[in-house]
Parts: sequence; structure tokens; C-alpha cells
Amino acid sequence: MRDANHGIDRRTLLLATGAAGVASTLGRTATAQDAPAASARIGVEDDSYRTDERANIGFYPLNTNIFESLVYLTPDYQIEPLLAESWELVKPTTWRITLRQDVTFHDGTPFNADAVKYSMDRIASNGGGVLRIDENSTVIVDDFTVEITPSVTNLRLMQQIGHPNNSILPVDLNPAESRIGTGPFREVEYVAADHYTVEANPDYWGEAPGVGEITFRFYPDPTARLLALQAGDVDLITDVPKQSASQVEAAGATLITGPVGAYEAMYFNIHGEEPYDLGQEPAVREAVSIAINRDQVIESAWQGNAEPGTTMIPPAILGSAVSLVDAPQYDPDAARQTLEDAGWVEGEGGIREKDGRALNLVIINGYGTAADHGSVPELLQAQLEEIGVGLEIVQTPDTATYEQRLQVGEGDLWLEAGSQNDGNPCFLPDLLFSTPVEGGDPESTMYGRAFAPGAAFDAHIAECREAVEVEAVQEAAAMAMNVVINEERVVIPLCGFYRIMGASTAVDNIDLHASGVNQRWTSLTMAG
Amino acid sequence: MLRFILHRLVYLIPVWIGISLVAFTLANLTPGDPARLALQRSLGRQPTAEETAAAREQMGLNDPAPIRYFNWLADAITGDLGTSYRTGQPVLDSLIERFPNTLQIAGAGLLLAIAIAIPLGVLAAVYRRSAIDHVSRVVALLGASMPSYWVAYLLILLFSVRLGMLPVAGSSTWQHAVMPAVTLGIGGSASLMRLTRSEMLETLNQDYIRTARAKGLHSRTLLVRHALRNTMIPISTVLGMRFAGMLGGAVIVETIFSWPGIGKLVVDAIFDRDYPMIQGFVIFMGTAFLLINLIVDLGYGLIDPRIRLANR
Repeated sequence: MRDANHGIDRRTLLLATGAAGVASTLGRTATAQDAPAASARIGVEDDSYRTDERANIGFYPLNTNIFESLVYLTPDYQIEPLLAESWELVKPTTWRITLRQDVTFHDGTPFNADAVKYSMDRIASNGGGVLRIDENSTVIVDDFTVEITPSVTNLRLMQQIGHPNNSILPVDLNPAESRIGTGPFREVEYVAADHYTVEANPDYWGEAPGVGEITFRFYPDPTARLLALQAGDVDLITDVPKQSASQVEAAGATLITGPVGAYEAMYFNIHGEEPYDLGQEPAVREAVSIAINRDQVIESAWQGNAEPGTTMIPPAILGSAVSLVDAPQYDPDAARQTLEDAGWVEGEGGIREKDGRALNLVIINGYGTAADHGSVPELLQAQLEEIGVGLEIVQTPDTATYEQRLQVGEGDLWLEAGSQNDGNPCFLPDLLFSTPVEGGDPESTMYGRAFAPGAAFDAHIAECREAVEVEAVQEAAAMAMNVVINEERVVIPLCGFYRIMGASTAVDNIDLHASGVNQRWTSLTMAG
Repeated sequence: MLRFILHRLVYLIPVWIGISLVAFTLANLTPGDPARLALQRSLGRQPTAEETAAAREQMGLNDPAPIRYFNWLADAITGDLGTSYRTGQPVLDSLIERFPNTLQIAGAGLLLAIAIAIPLGVLAAVYRRSAIDHVSRVVALLGASMPSYWVAYLLILLFSVRLGMLPVAGSSTWQHAVMPAVTLGIGGSASLMRLTRSEMLETLNQDYIRTARAKGLHSRTLLVRHALRNTMIPISTVLGMRFAGMLGGAVIVETIFSWPGIGKLVVDAIFDRDYPMIQGFVIFMGTAFLLINLIVDLGYGLIDPRIRLANR
């Protein structure tokens, strides 16, 4: 265990990323260029944009390039200045943010502190989000300086504020009616569920986009999306299912992959009541964790289009602290021995037994949906059978049914997929595995009741919440992950997922972001 | 006739109340908090407790279920079917906006099914056990055994990928409607073709057909005016049911072809526990079913004068 960072004087600390080198952020030159003539057509998933007061302005791919946030989440999950030039912690929980002064919205309105105040208050009116802000949190200091004080201590504010959901709108803009931001693209036409067309913003404060116009066409069905690429209806398709990736190349298109930004993992219910109490036994958890052959899962279920999972969250977000955590190594012989030593002997049908009870586990498939996990449950079933552990697979039709089952803890293993979309490495571990507190977040309570490993984990999460320096946060997150993966074996990482796109020969370049919602299209260039 | 129509329309009221109550009860019995699900979708992450609480308040989900139902019913009587939890749009507006799209492809699909099934069914009956009968049987078998998603992909591969004649998916031009309509039409034609054949065979064996033939009636007149017309009563019943089924069940076709119809709207609503949309859809489709049946019933009178006379 490491020391907590209580001795740091927060008032005088600057976040390293916010202090220096701000003028040349993201390689931008702050000079707008003439918009290039090339245009691109991109096939994307279903249109899920809400056109009401809860308009989801960060929804990929609609608005991530229309609107901009105060900071930018880099593909390796670090934060860099965007509309904010710099930031510092001036009081124990107050962030002072200095804004760029050369920015205008697409309608010519100048970007300033009023816009930030309006945008933050809009978030506050909908519950404050993960930023934990209320209507009094954002205070204008001058035209280009604001102070934000979350209603609950939140030192991770700047890592979270870059999420596109927290983008900055001009004062009084209702994004359900019109979408006017500061981003490199501006809206041309939106036909719900059909297409969304944007063009390069000629007055953009940063580096000009590589194409003059992009039309996003919505294809909810992934096979239809692939066929649209094959037919030449689009130049690029996003979110190619891992199982279909080989078809992209077979169709003569190019497969483009990004860094890992999502994961698949199993969680052991360690507080379950009979008959879901087998996970309370450490030997069972240990044996299961080393009986999983991740390489086989990746090759068979995902056709090689994933990486072996080492942590739950993307490794890059942990920086150099990633070396502090690793997944248990595949060793079926050791798994068998562990069970033998614990008194689980081979019984009828090859399934181990102890005191007349068979070692049959129930796996709940899964979160987000059962379909997200393909044939993984069946593979796990076969792998566990090799060591004498039975696995019953329960498919839940949707998230709500999955969560209802989790509420009552009816299951031993829980198969989940998730993604990391902001720069706070402790968000997911904290949400899922912290010990529940009375009156706490219902979701956290639901997960914690089944999975919380206890004091050692909570201590690392507390360090993570209280640390100011990025490195200290990363280290605390890695140590917390180490507890749930290697010490308590609550989490069994399976795969790290990266995003996959398919491109026709018309596409020259596109840099993929690890997180879909943070994908920027400025790097897209077309051949010729 | 007017009294008959009014009588059938009055049936709508208990039907509306009954199906709305069933829909509301079933929707509320299924697990899941609509506020959380709507937020998960719109935020792309797990909502916080504060966000969920704010959304529940905004959606009026904190009231007891019976109060919510009666509030909804009171609004529904005035034509307000509520606001979708999922999209934030008025339910009636969404249904009215989407319904014509489904009507387009279902209507075109039905016409196509009629154009394929009735001539082939009649010919198969007239030339029983001939090559055309065998061909029509194979066509019907294929149509019935091919799932609609498979037909859809085959059509895309042929007309979009291979021939480049039609766009894969979308809804902005009339060309976009061709493949969804054909997919629905092929699926609908198979059973219709077999039904036409069997009904036609039965009719052709009736005494009055034999009498007409013995009197030297021209075979085309015999087929069209006497045999086919009498066959149309059961066929029109099935057509009505088939059309109603196409309106409510075009979800797979709508998803593959990105066609913004009513089927996909309601399936998304079910997954997101969007109660107002589910209830609105049930009311809307219940009304559509009843009206289609009414039109079919009225059509009987046009097809068979005996029914018209009996109603007087």
C-alpha cells in the first residue's frame, strides 16, 4: 500500500497539463485555413440524438466536432487544453479556468465566460452529471476566467469536463433546435435517422479539417453498413463488429483500428447468498481466474480483433502505473490443483464436488447486451469444464433485466463490456466496486453489494479521489485495480477492445480515438 | 351502411381502454427504470443518482402507477399521448411522422404480393399439376422459407453491390423504398399464393362453375367474374390481416434499410421502457387494425352482393 497524498498544498498546485505549452495545444496553429473541397461520406450507427431539453450534445458522431469542451481527452486518455487555456486549483475544491480569447461560435458570437457559465448551469439543471456541479458552482471572474466549485468535492473535475457531453454552447442556445458550437465543423443539414451533413468551419480557431464536408449516414444494421461500403454508398464505416472485420478486407476495403478504449470482463459475486455463494470461496475465484485462456477467447470469439485484457480500464489511462497491475496468467493445471487443495474433488460427469455440492456456477450474460458478448459465454463454459467447473449461462434480453438480476444478486459470474470516455481512471472502479454507503448512488450500491472487495480497495479509491497530481491518481487507480484483479480476484479481465473502421480506397487517412464519443474528424483526409 | 360503420367505430373506445390498460400494466411489470435507461442512452454512460432523480421527476415517474395511468388516460382522451421518455418528442407527433413511412413500404409490399400471388395462384389452380403449378409451389416455398433479413441482404447484394442500381439504405428518395417494399412483398406473397390456389380450386369445382362452363361462358369471364370474385372473400380477409401485420411487424426490414418507420420506433421503445411510446403505439396500431378490418368488412359487400343485400 502506498501513502496517501494528504500533505500536498492544493492551493498552490497547478496541474501540469494545464500550465505550460498551452498556445500550441493539439498541434493547432490558431490560424484558420481555406476549407478543402474534398468531401466524405461516413456510414455510422443508429441515430440516437435527442431533440428535447436533454439534447445529448456529446453524442457520437453527431456533435463531437460541432461543439468543443474546455479540455481535450487525447487518444491515450490524458487531458490537454482546448477551449480552456489553463486551469489551477485555487481553493480546496475550486478550479479557476482561463479561457481562450480568439474563439467565436459558428454564428459569430464570441466565446467567453458567459457561455461557459450557461453551459455548466445547463448540466447542473439536469442533475450535475459526474462533475457534481449545481447552479451555484460556476462563477464568472472576468470575461475569460471562470471558477467552478463542485457541490461535492471533486478533484477529478478537469479529467471529466472534457467529455463531449460537457461541451460549451452559446448563451441561450437550445441544442434541440440548432447546433451551434465552436468546433472545426458546422452543421449543414440534419435529417433525423437518415443523415447529418457538416462542413468545415472557415473561421475555426485551430487547424483546419482535412475535408470540406462530411455526410454521416445512419445504418443501424452493421451488415447493411458493411454492404453500403461495398456498394460505394459511403467511403468509411464506423463500429465494424469484431466478428465481421474479416469481411471488410474480403470486400476490398481497408481495416482501420485504434488504441484500446473498451473492455470485456467477468465479475465474481463475492457476497452472494446460497445458491450464488460459491464466489465467496477464494480458491474458487482463483481457480476460475487462471483457467481462462484469453488468447483463445480473442481468436475464437473475436477473430483476433481484440487484445488480452490486463486491467478493466484501458491500460493507457494508467500511464506508467500500468505495470502495477496485470491479469492472472492462464494455468489450467494450477487451477485444478487449487481446487483439489480446497477439497473440490472430481464428481459425477467430471464436475467437481465438495460436501455433496457440485461446483456449478451461473454466469449472467451480460452488460451492455448479451449480443455484445458473442460466443464468449460458451467458450468460457468449455474452458471451465476443463478444470471440472460447470457453468450455466443465463442470457438477459436487455440492460434493465440484467440490472434487475444484479439487484438481487442472482448469479455467480457477471459478464460485462464497458468503455472509458473521460480521463478519470477511478470512475469505473469507484462506481462498480466501492463499498456501498447508506443513501449512496443506487447503481454503486447495486454493484457494491455483489462485488465490493472491502477496505483495501476503498483506501486506494479514497487516495484516487483526494490526489491532485495525475501520476498519484494513476497509481492509486492501478493499486485499486490490483486489489480486485490479483488480490481478491473479483474481476477477471478478458479482452481489451479497440474500435474498428472500414475504409474504401477513397480515404487517405483517419486517426482513430480510443473512445468513440471523443472521435474528432479533423484528421480525415481523402485520396486525390 | 353508415350505422354499421358508426357501430364499428364505437367499438374503438373499449378496445382503446382495454389495450392501453394491458400495455401499461405489462410495460410497468417489466424490470427497469425508464429514467435510468433513457439517461444511459442519451449520456452514453451510467447516470448519477442525482441525474436519475432529476429525470424521474421530469418524467413524472414518482407518482404511483394507477395515478400515472389515469393521468395518461385523461390526456389521451384529449389527443395527448404523452412525451416519449426516449426521444423527448410528443408520442403522437412521432407516430404520425413515422406511420406514413411504414404505410408506404407496407402498401407497396402488399400491392407487390397481390401482383405476384394472385395471378400465379389462379394459374396454378387452373393448370393444376402442370409446370406452372410446380413452379408456383416452388416460388411459394422459397418465399415462405426465406427470412426477411436474408431476402433483404440478397436484394442489397444484387441491386446495390452488384448492379449499383439502388442505394443500400436510407429514406430520402423513392429508390430507397424499393428494396424494403420488395422484401415485405416477397414475404407476403408466399402464403397468399397458396391460399389463392386452394380457394380457386375449391371454387372451380362448384356446381355453378360447371353450369356456367356448360352454358358455354367464355373461360376468361368464367375465371375473372365468377371464380376469382368468389375466391376474393377469404383472400381479402387474409390480405387485411397481412397488411396489418406488415404495418406492425416491419421492424427487421426497417432496421436493415434504415427506414424510419413505426416498427423500429416501438422496438427501441420497448428496450428503453418508454412507456408513453409503447402505449401510444398500441393505441395507434389497435385503431389501425380495427379500421383495416372495417375496410375489409365493407369490401365484402362490394365483392359479394349477397352480403350487401343481407346487411340491408
